Amino acid sequence: MIEVHVSGAAGAFRIDAEFTVTEGGVTALFGPSGSGKTTLINMIAGLLRPERGRIVVNGAPVFDSQAGVDIAPHRRRIGTIFQEGRLFPHLTVRANLVYGMNRTPPAQRYVGLDQVVDMLGIGALLTRRPATLSGGEKQRVAIGRALLASPRLLLMDEPLAALDAARKAEILPFIERLHRDIDVPVIYVSHAMDEVLAIADTMVLMAEGRVVAVGPVEEVASRAGTGGLGHAETVIAATVAGHEPEFGLTRLAAPAGALRVPRLDRAVGSMVRLRIRARDVSLALSRPADISVLNILPATIESIDDHGDGTVDVTLDIGPGPRLHAQITARAVHDLALGPGARVHALVKSVAIDRYSPAPPSQSSDSGT
Amino acid sequence: MPGLTPEEWSAVQLSLRVALLSTAVSLPFGLFFAWLLARRDFLGKGLLNGIVHLPLVLPPVVVGYALLVLLGRKGAIGAWLYDTLGVTVAFKWEGAAVASAVMGFPLMVRAIRLSLDAVDRRLEAAALTLGASPVGVFATITLPLALPGVVTGAILAFARSLGEFGATITFVSNIPGETRTLPLALYSYTQVPGGDGPALRLAVISVVLAMAALLASEVLARRVAARLQ
Amino acid sequence: MVFAAASTASAIQDVIALYGARGAVVASFAASSALARQIQNGAPADIYISANPRWMDSLAGAGLIEAASRRDLLGNRLVLIAPADSPVHVDLSAQPALDSLLGDGRLALADPAHVPAGLYARAALEALGLWPAVAGAVAPMNNVRAALVLVERGEAPLGVVYATDAAITDGVRVAGVFPESSHPPIVYPAAIVAGRETVAVRAFHDFLFTDAARAVFAAHGFVVE
Repeated sequence: MIEVHVSGAAGAFRIDAEFTVTEGGVTALFGPSGSGKTTLINMIAGLLRPERGRIVVNGAPVFDSQAGVDIAPHRRRIGTIFQEGRLFPHLTVRANLVYGMNRTPPAQRYVGLDQVVDMLGIGALLTRRPATLSGGEKQRVAIGRALLASPRLLLMDEPLAALDAARKAEILPFIERLHRDIDVPVIYVSHAMDEVLAIADTMVLMAEGRVVAVGPVEEVASRAGTGGLGHAETVIAATVAGHEPEFGLTRLAAPAGALRVPRLDRAVGSMVRLRIRARDVSLALSRPADISVLNILPATIESIDDHGDGTVDVTLDIGPGPRLHAQITARAVHDLALGPGARVHALVKSVAIDRYSPAPPSQSSDSGT
Repeated sequence: MPGLTPEEWSAVQLSLRVALLSTAVSLPFGLFFAWLLARRDFLGKGLLNGIVHLPLVLPPVVVGYALLVLLGRKGAIGAWLYDTLGVTVAFKWEGAAVASAVMGFPLMVRAIRLSLDAVDRRLEAAALTLGASPVGVFATITLPLALPGVVTGAILAFARSLGEFGATITFVSNIPGETRTLPLALYSYTQVPGGDGPALRLAVISVVLAMAALLASEVLARRVAARLQ
Repeated sequence: MVFAAASTASAIQDVIALYGARGAVVASFAASSALARQIQNGAPADIYISANPRWMDSLAGAGLIEAASRRDLLGNRLVLIAPADSPVHVDLSAQPALDSLLGDGRLALADPAHVPAGLYARAALEALGLWPAVAGAVAPMNNVRAALVLVERGEAPLGVVYATDAAITDGVRVAGVFPESSHPPIVYPAAIVAGRETVAVRAFHDFLFTDAARAVFAAHGFVVE
């Protein structure tokens, strides 16, 4: 259980954030650049002192301004993985890895060097120096180093931000598997929705130093696109209902109905997270026939939000679950005489749906597009 | 050593001994004050910085007189040391080492501070999150990464000591075999008619020693820096 | 420009003040040896007053002074001093045990290798048979005033300085006087530097030997003929 309630400043930037996470797993701290995510992480790690507030980790307060508690960062046992890795240049990879472990009493260690080295695939790098490693290798070592200190909480401050797409794809599975193989809560900072949808369970949405929303990823992610925080999108949880191997498709059961997506290598009943960008959703007044789109959902228009640039965001009620967002032209709204309460059909191409699904323990994950 | 009289050789040995002791003793203080100035903000920081650099800008004789007033046998601190611990540095080669240490201190602190400033503080923060105490961070991260500057600072202070005159002669006088270091011996020879020969020999030795120290500083600093890559 | 031995500093300043409006005189004080070196290297001194004939001889030998202008200006006595609160009294002609009087302290004096005051001190101690006992316990200073300071501060229990130096401060007292026979006469010759003689320079040089100037020197403790 992690409880954070802080207010303070870092330079000219003010932060006033509050959130509580009761389940373990991965909590994503999501928001645009400058929303205070890194400041908050630094406060939790103890590298920055809030003016007021309370930070509790697994029931033990590490900071409480009223009670006069402020545990020094080196005693908090909160591991941090930074965007730049911050490996110690004068030590070998192995020495870097065991730096924290050597400072952890054996009784409190829950991972060993071999285990972590295997898990991250860095055995070949042990005698090397950080300067000779690639970006992806550095981050894997950084993850291993933080993990080997057996922290009670793992903070990841945009660990993939400095990597190119190929490196990101290489490391994301490690992070995803990591929090399942090793039962430590993770707070994952990112401004990339892809990463968040791939690995997070809970999401904390931040903007301008404040927490805007806290909740399950599907709920909060949908809100992330509105209110000027980005492009509208919809995140839906679904389960695998069956496969159509002859067409390379998988059928999913979502609260709103049945959906077909490109083949997903998962067993029936597995949980899948779907991401549908508003611009990939089209509307029709009557159910179209002879059309290539496989996913046609009946919906009722809840609201229409005019962006003033010729596009509008239409919020659709598709039944139980999150609302579906569609981005269409203002002209279409005019021509079809659309308004709140209108009954329409939402069309979503199978190939436009992003699927995020945690891999079963023995397989590598498949976060495809 | 060929060509040197026993007195000249004695001056050389004494200079080396004084320089070694003064550098060794001032190193922990140099590290501490350089760290304080590089990493901490506090009331009076500018004043402290000024005091540390005073020996660089004051006439050496003034520094020597100040040492006499403070550390002489009847001095403000020296009297207490003598009465309580029976320890004194007046008229001893250890006193010459103190004079050298004080005069070389600003050079040492500057060099070390420069290299401490260059150490990435984000690495220090990372070490804290891994469970290293602030002292542990200094010992295992900051200091090793700042080592080139520490080496430079130590050798600069050493070389400065080899050339130290004004403060030494004012504080501990010019006692042959005890406080007559290379510069003092050189000076004495220049004051005596016909002393130009030995003076020149000692001057050559001074130059050789100083150059060797500075070259060693270069080489060592570079080698240490290479090991960090 | 007058180059004068350090031990004459305050006396010369008073004489210059007495000379007053008759002309502008500037004086530079240092060890006689240092001044001689500077004159050898072309320093713009007009008059040189040395604490020791040796350096004057050296300059004369190099043709750097107007030989005809050289005259002995002052004399001085050598004294043994102790800090003002020390009760020590020493009869220097009676073979005193100076080393035991020093204890574990040192005898402060100007460097006997080259500073005139030091040279006189060593000569006197040798002549009295006292040098071997104290040779290992001396604190040779750069100039005689520095030796005075050591004794004044109590850092050295005894010192050898000129009588004129001891007279400057109340911080020391004279513990003994060296017999004049124990050392070469302490003579301060004065001369005009070669090629620097002008009417003004000659005027001040002559003034040094007038009764008025001599009175000033005597008041400072110098011996004047």
